[in-house]
Amino acid sequence: MPVPVEFQAVVLAAGKGSRMLEITSGHPKCLLPVGPKPLIWYTLRKLQITGFNEAILIVLETQKAEIQSAIERELEGNSLDIKVDYVSIAEDQEDLGTADSLRLVQERLKSDVLVVSCDLVSDVNLGGVLNLFRKHNASIASLMFYHQASEPIVVPGPKSKHKPEKDLIGIDEQTQRLVFMASVSDFESQVTLPLSLLKKHTLVKMYSTLIDSHVYVLKNWVIQYLKSERSITSLKGELIPYIVKKQLSKPQKIDEVNQSIINTKDSNDIFSFAEEDELELAIREISSFNDHNGDLKSSYNNDPIRCYAYIAPKGSIGLRVNTLPAYWSINGKIQEVWNKVSINMSLIQKSPQANIQSNQVDDKCIISDGAKLNEKTSFKNANIGTNTTVNSFSRVFNSIVMNNVMIHEKVALENCIVCDNAVIEKGSSLKNCIVGNNHLVQAESECTNELLTEDLMHF
Amino acid sequence: MSKKNDLLAKENAVQAILVAPTFEDEFLPISNDIPLCLFPVVNKPLIDYTLEFLSLGGVEETFLFCCNHVAEIKDHIKKSVEETVGWTLTMKVHIIVSESCRSFGDCLRDLDAKGLLRGDFVLLEPGVISNISLSSLLKKHSDICQMDKGAAMTVIFQECGLNHRSLCPQDETLVIMNSKNRLLFHKKTKKTSDKKVDFPLEIFLENNSVSIYHNLKDTHIAICSSSVLPLFSDNFDFQTKDDFVRGLLMNEEIMGSTVYGNILRGSNYGGAIHNWRTYQSISMELKNKWVHPLVPPTKKNRSIYEDSAIGTSTKVALTANICRSILGCNVVIGNNVKIQDAFIFDNTHIEDNAVVSLSVIGPNCIVKNGAKVTAGSILGKGVVIEENCLVEDSLVQQTKSDNSEDKIGPSAYRLRLEEDEEDIDLDKSLARRMSRLHIHEATYESEYESEDEFSESEDALSHIHSPPPDDTKLFFTEVIDSLTRGFEDKLLCDNLILEINSSRYAYNVTVKEVNFNVIKAILIMSGDLPEGPQYFSSFAQMLSYFAPLFNNYIKNLSAMTDCLQAVEEVAISGDFKDKWAVFTLKYLYEKDYLSEEAILDWFGTIKTDTKFYKQVKPFTDWLEEAEEEDSDDE
Repeated sequence: MPVPVEFQAVVLAAGKGSRMLEITSGHPKCLLPVGPKPLIWYTLRKLQITGFNEAILIVLETQKAEIQSAIERELEGNSLDIKVDYVSIAEDQEDLGTADSLRLVQERLKSDVLVVSCDLVSDVNLGGVLNLFRKHNASIASLMFYHQASEPIVVPGPKSKHKPEKDLIGIDEQTQRLVFMASVSDFESQVTLPLSLLKKHTLVKMYSTLIDSHVYVLKNWVIQYLKSERSITSLKGELIPYIVKKQLSKPQKIDEVNQSIINTKDSNDIFSFAEEDELELAIREISSFNDHNGDLKSSYNNDPIRCYAYIAPKGSIGLRVNTLPAYWSINGKIQEVWNKVSINMSLIQKSPQANIQSNQVDDKCIISDGAKLNEKTSFKNANIGTNTTVNSFSRVFNSIVMNNVMIHEKVALENCIVCDNAVIEKGSSLKNCIVGNNHLVQAESECTNELLTEDLMHF
Repeated sequence: MSKKNDLLAKENAVQAILVAPTFEDEFLPISNDIPLCLFPVVNKPLIDYTLEFLSLGGVEETFLFCCNHVAEIKDHIKKSVEETVGWTLTMKVHIIVSESCRSFGDCLRDLDAKGLLRGDFVLLEPGVISNISLSSLLKKHSDICQMDKGAAMTVIFQECGLNHRSLCPQDETLVIMNSKNRLLFHKKTKKTSDKKVDFPLEIFLENNSVSIYHNLKDTHIAICSSSVLPLFSDNFDFQTKDDFVRGLLMNEEIMGSTVYGNILRGSNYGGAIHNWRTYQSISMELKNKWVHPLVPPTKKNRSIYEDSAIGTSTKVALTANICRSILGCNVVIGNNVKIQDAFIFDNTHIEDNAVVSLSVIGPNCIVKNGAKVTAGSILGKGVVIEENCLVEDSLVQQTKSDNSEDKIGPSAYRLRLEEDEEDIDLDKSLARRMSRLHIHEATYESEYESEDEFSESEDALSHIHSPPPDDTKLFFTEVIDSLTRGFEDKLLCDNLILEINSSRYAYNVTVKEVNFNVIKAILIMSGDLPEGPQYFSSFAQMLSYFAPLFNNYIKNLSAMTDCLQAVEEVAISGDFKDKWAVFTLKYLYEKDYLSEEAILDWFGTIKTDTKFYKQVKPFTDWLEEAEEEDSDDE
């Protein structure tokens, strides 16, 4: 009989990248190139390094083939060694939230679950959050990052004011319990906390700039609860805050007189899911361990629900690539942090399968398989995708050019993102621009700070 | 006195202000005869500890502010100087007298006018006992001032578990500090009975992280910049240090001043005696040497358990049982006396078989044979409790005064504290209850438990849990709310109609549903009326009060049917007397809200085998008979 694994990993890759539709419309977000690899590779590599042999990957049916072939290419190239189990979301259900996605695979989840989104680029060892979860037999443990100050950068595309979404996250200093979580936008001018919370957790550190990495370790009962509670659609927005709140409540005392087993099982009371093993409770009672001091309550205040937050050590890299500025900034520094985030993979800057005839390719460029750089072209700090062709007398500075792009003669690109299958005709000069999927840039175009794309209806 | 002190006043001596009186009536009636600063705390006057603490802490010049019992205090200081008590070697004490001051703030304003303070100073509220090194805190404060020119005050807190006995519930403070220990929020949670706390959002947004402390105890010590006294002078509404902190936090921009906090940990101890409860806890802590190097005078006595202390020349009978108590000097305890959790001041005589528990017996009292003094009683100076008398939860003084209530004995009058008519509210009574001697660990705990449970029911935050409520149901509950409130406050029914109509549009309910639900609501409210012989008359009164509603909603035949259905539903589902349905119908019929025709039509639709049918049957029979008679007449 096979021993059940301790944790099962679920990677959520069915998001549409709605915060950066400029570059994700018609293109899976998880395949956006970050340095030499697609975004999803970083997550899978992280899981592999943490010790996972398998991962369940949730993708959209329409994008499945594309993603599968991209991952298989990495597997063949030995840069990944993890068994990926694809689960696809049918076309008519594309608007499912993250919790809905998880509900889809609920039947396969027999152990506790590590939920990761596909957009995390980080050098943090997931062992930290998993150990915190193990140590306290937690219901939920999540990974947080300190705010990482970044220098102002010029992001291609129309100038817009980027307002990061902020969360208020309260963590008990003493026990690392996650006691409060809400989005800043939920409040107008006041934040109301119940006094009982502050009595229970007498020293709460409230952060406004922590970044929730969307790495959650969930106890299996949380998945079962999710199954029964169909109204919850998202993890970060609904499920986690709800469970965090529920830590404060106590299970309803079941009336001894008219106790009915069917009743308690049927009701969606979260505490009927969160019940703890009796043996474990007995051990805890006998043990002298206590997670906190300052009052005479038993350890964990006898809470069956316990949420924890692991804050990655200061200076770690942790970025969710879910906005255009985030995407642009991670690409800018991927070579600097490559060793840390890839964990000792060598960085192949110029693929041997690329056809490079240009002699002006500086050492900050990344050239992928099948790229064709003709003579008399110039590249500085450029990321050129697979099967992209750049014709003579063109130059590409400080830009990301994705796959199958055709760049004709005498084109000048500076600080641009060019998406898949785009064509830039000769003589064009683009600065701080985004060229959308399949877009054709007419010859002799001159643009700055523009978004050049076909389907504008999303904006 | 200080003038005779040989010490030369140094130019930059470290200065402290000690305000002696509390301006509260917490310690009545004992405080009538002894000022707080001369209260014996484990057989040594309170002020001796405070002054010793100041001199050990590095203070060289102290301004002692007195408003009453000035002569006694002056004598005491003089005596200390003559006896060259420890602190007199390094510290000068100036006594400042002002009998016109009515609050802590007044004292500081008075001091400001005198202009005696030069730079940063230590500010002590009444009754402080501590063992911290003030010079290092002064250094920290001046470092803060270097960084932040507006820093006015560093409030000293001590880390302390919420249920710890040394934390008086009144002192439970909720504090938010940023990473630089700047105070952003300050609130005494027990001053109100709120179950929730509101924080301004900016506090969180303006800082990367802030710490919310609820495990702190205010030591009533503060390090002040020279700007503090002028700020008190500028703001006449600052009565206490808490007012000052709150005022500064509220008007930070206007006043340009900031407050910082410092948290004591480990063996640093700080606290103040400002009510009996803190008197008890600090006495116990002093006795157990938590405030080392400040220790009370000790006298060993083998017949007394470790948990109690006695003064000199005190006689305790062998058969007496003393437990967690402190006895003063020259106290005489008779046979079989039981003393628990009590404080007995000098020269008091407790006679045989008396019981004293959880009480304070002032000086020169006599508790006679078999008397009992319990449950938070305080006996003033010279009170005599007669034989076998029981004194429970009272303040007793020797002589009759204006506000003394009843006479217990020739030298014992129960004192009633005058409470302002307006604020006999919850807060005040709560504060009183909290300031008593520590009644019992267990009861205190359970109080907390029950509060926790209360907070569950208000867990309305779980919005995603409940199914979306039915609009009609919502409408119904709103109607009930409006009507109940209207009936209680005797609002005009026209206004109620307006309210109901607006909820009607908000929930989009049909006319039929409106009629049905309004009548149902009125009838359901009759269930709340008191039972008894008066029931139907008060029911009729209620119905007549709502007459405009009936007029407004029951306008035609179909509305009558709705009304009748409401009666039917309420009668069947509610727990009413048998006659209820008939009474209601008859009333509505007599007031012409319902027509005969409508009632009979409706009655035809009711199943004959129900209990309701049987209840209503006599009425319809009567109706039919009446109709026949009518037609007969014609």
